[in-house]
Amino acid sequence: MENVTLKLNGETRSASVPPETTLLRLLRDQFNLTGAKLGCDVGDCGACTVIVDGKPVNSCLMLVGQVDGREILTIEGLATADHLHPLQKLFEHFGSLQCGFCGPGVIMSAKALLDENPDPSTQEIRDALGGNLCRCTGYTKMIEAIKGASCILRGEEVPAGKSA
Amino acid sequence: MKRRGRGMACMWYPIGFTVAANPSAAVVKINEDGTATLLTGTVETGQGSLTILAQIVAQELGIATDDVHVVSADTDSTPMDTGAIASRTTYVTGNAAKMAAEKAKLTLFEVAAPLLGVKPTQLEAQDHKIFVKGFPQRNMHIGDVANHARVVSGQPPIGSASFNPETLALDPETGQGKPFGTYVYATQIAEVDVDDETGEVEVVRIVASHDCGTAINPMLVEGQVEGGVAMGIGFALEEEMLFDANGRHINPNLTNYIMPTSLDTPDIEVDIVDSYDPTGPFGAKGVGEPTLVPTAAAIANAIYDAVGVRIMSLPATAEKVFKALQAKREQQPKQIGAGVPQNGGANGKPAVQ
Amino acid sequence: MADKPKVVDKPDVLQRPDILKPQAPAPLVTFPVEVVVPEGRQQTPAVGQRASRADGRLHGLGQTKYIDDMYFPNMLFAKIKRAGIASALIKSIDTKEAEAMPGVIAVITGRDIPCNSFGPSLKDQPVLADTRVFHAGDGVAAVAAVSEQIATEALEKIKVVYEPLTPVLDPLESLKLETPGIHAPSANIYGHKIIKKGDVEKAFAESDHIFEGSFRTQMVEHVPLEPYACIAQWDANGRVTIYSTLGRITLGRADVGRTLGIPMSRVRIVATVVGGNFGGKNEIRAEPALALLSKKTGRPVKCVYTRVEEFTSSTTRHPLIMDYKTGVTKQGKILGRKIRLVLDGGAYCSWSETTLGKACILSAGPYNIENLHAEAFVVYTNKTMTGAMRGFGAPQVCFAYESHMDEIAHTLGIDPLEIRLLNAFDEGSLSPTSQKLHSVVVKESLLRAAKLFGWNGLGDAGKGNGA
Repeated sequence: MENVTLKLNGETRSASVPPETTLLRLLRDQFNLTGAKLGCDVGDCGACTVIVDGKPVNSCLMLVGQVDGREILTIEGLATADHLHPLQKLFEHFGSLQCGFCGPGVIMSAKALLDENPDPSTQEIRDALGGNLCRCTGYTKMIEAIKGASCILRGEEVPAGKSA
Repeated sequence: MKRRGRGMACMWYPIGFTVAANPSAAVVKINEDGTATLLTGTVETGQGSLTILAQIVAQELGIATDDVHVVSADTDSTPMDTGAIASRTTYVTGNAAKMAAEKAKLTLFEVAAPLLGVKPTQLEAQDHKIFVKGFPQRNMHIGDVANHARVVSGQPPIGSASFNPETLALDPETGQGKPFGTYVYATQIAEVDVDDETGEVEVVRIVASHDCGTAINPMLVEGQVEGGVAMGIGFALEEEMLFDANGRHINPNLTNYIMPTSLDTPDIEVDIVDSYDPTGPFGAKGVGEPTLVPTAAAIANAIYDAVGVRIMSLPATAEKVFKALQAKREQQPKQIGAGVPQNGGANGKPAVQ
Repeated sequence: MADKPKVVDKPDVLQRPDILKPQAPAPLVTFPVEVVVPEGRQQTPAVGQRASRADGRLHGLGQTKYIDDMYFPNMLFAKIKRAGIASALIKSIDTKEAEAMPGVIAVITGRDIPCNSFGPSLKDQPVLADTRVFHAGDGVAAVAAVSEQIATEALEKIKVVYEPLTPVLDPLESLKLETPGIHAPSANIYGHKIIKKGDVEKAFAESDHIFEGSFRTQMVEHVPLEPYACIAQWDANGRVTIYSTLGRITLGRADVGRTLGIPMSRVRIVATVVGGNFGGKNEIRAEPALALLSKKTGRPVKCVYTRVEEFTSSTTRHPLIMDYKTGVTKQGKILGRKIRLVLDGGAYCSWSETTLGKACILSAGPYNIENLHAEAFVVYTNKTMTGAMRGFGAPQVCFAYESHMDEIAHTLGIDPLEIRLLNAFDEGSLSPTSQKLHSVVVKESLLRAAKLFGWNGLGDAGKGNGA
């Protein structure tokens, strides 16, 4: 068994699991954080995207040994008791998610992008989402929401697009 | 060199099952405060059907979407539904939900009528009120009527209904008949850039003009069109399940089964055609499947417009377009210095070098 | 089959903090309980509002519970062994070594299914293949174990002896009468549809131009982001509850009742939010097998398809071979059209009859054509079963009839928009099946799209050289 200690959504957590356990399984089965999804388990679809030490990763491709001592942010760590994160608020407002399965992964990729680039262009947003497959939405309303969220985070008004 | 082309395609698509019965049933219960619950056997598979059904029920009862709670997808507690298939939910389940809401509403009218001093047929429901047609000042809040219905009249407002599109079986020899209740229509126009050296096709722009009857929720219609077009782009250019000579799958994974990512889809411009279908709930038809029907054809026609090769089989992969371009070049007699235009064409395409 | 409970000599690969372990820490999830209702949801009248979805907020918080997010105490995990061979007789299936593995609680085969056949129309599909394999993704056995890993390892230990048969992969091969029947004694052509109107040969004789084209489309997969998932569990009254990613629960309940030989009142099917369907989740898959595993073990059993299984063992879109012949006047008015469609119907019927019917009816396009002959066939092949996929044949035939229309337009030097406006349906037009159409707006959609796009006629590209 492998002992891991990590900072998960701001709190220190530990677990003792077989070494071949992926970060995805650790999150879903050990810590009951089922936001990150299993879409393919081999890093092709991005439904398992979480943020590790500030970088978006496919959690199905990381083994627990690789996250020992690191800081992990999952979808469950975005909102607070008082507020939805602007990404969550605008994804809801613009109808950016349909079946929702790819949602947590897409939002985490977007969060990682906005943390690094507070004013991304449409192309930069498309690049950031390139590893997140979505079959329902065609990505259009996601890009609109991410652009809007970047405005909110910069303290600017969200432009009234067609979805407003 | 990249060459730009544009192509269009139009289509028609039916709502519901071909001839066969495909009913849906619904139950609407109005709560004592005038909000409501809808029971439906349909399954939310991402398209937003539960929101649409809530809007239809809300419209019928004169309340807001948020006032309607939808319970779905449990064979123990929800009535039968033929399912989230054939773009039928808005039309078939929607009609059932509307009719069920109407029945529950009529119970409220029967309760309110004596209280307002009129006959039930003189009443309307709108903006959370039940009021006299033509004299809106005489009204009661729907919550008050619903509460009165339960505690005084002993008539809880519950409505149950089912709907099945009217069809006529097709003649086995000639195929003549009336297979569907209604159809939707659409046109999509695609603009592509084709690299005439590699055969690679990039979709630059898609304009999609879709009929869905009344758009119960335009935002959700746009979502369906955008998603359908993306799927259509995959069908046109990238996706293919491959088998070896023994019938075993070659690419049963997302590494080698290529489907559209955010980098493959352009911004999709959605237009909803003004339309009203009297056989649908508040004039609505449906939109789930039609959205990907014309995309591949529009793209294939755009490829022809761009580089003059007609792709006769999908997907129009780069290899296929490249081979078609090669074959075309081999067929054309060589023209050295013949009068080729030096300026861009009318569509702003680059000149031939 | 052992009577005593299995002794597990190694712990579960993954410990689940469920309700039996109260000392497990609470999950780190905080969220605001928003009392603010989005404006679109508060407005009356409700129809026409851009109302946000109630589940949209939960999706963005990662709170939506899909089937794979659900856990029950003592739950087992099931995996299905896939044939890996496209056509074969099954001579024997030996599950003893798998059953003896530590952590494996039960194994079943097709023989254990009381009524081993189902299908939305023809009931030609087995829950688990029993005597014959019809495609490489056919399931031949199912294992329930204490972890997914052990269940997957157990599949390797199941020994199946096959007698390979020659697979038929090309639908045109399958169409030939001399090709041996894949589902013998049934013929390979398992569906036929014909639409006849007017006199097509006379129309061709009167036409100024005749155009012919042969088009093909490929097999594609729905690829919902959520793979198929299902949990089955029983109560002591003999009622089974099945949570499943099924888009048609009414049909699903009927199918489960029929395959298990129990009354429908003893079957409860619950679907939560499905993570994408697109047609691929509109019939049962492993539900009866999981129900049997659950009954045999006395524990809830969950099965989640791998992404590979979503490709090999779920329905796909019918590949089509489409031959078109159209006679037109020199102005581009269609006088007659003749169409032949061959649908690759895969290993089992599934939704092929519906697809056949729709493809045939829609194949002429949204055009006024008085003389029409459209004939469609669906044939078996030893490939993944083809079923319902968004459009039921419409995307395929639209590719054909709109490419064909474009060819006609370009050859005659007519604007592709104008030729469509000349031929398209109007309000009250008769369809290919002579149905009087209402609420027809195809011309409106053409004009609106053209205006929005900035369509400027036939353009330079009419010459087809891209210059």
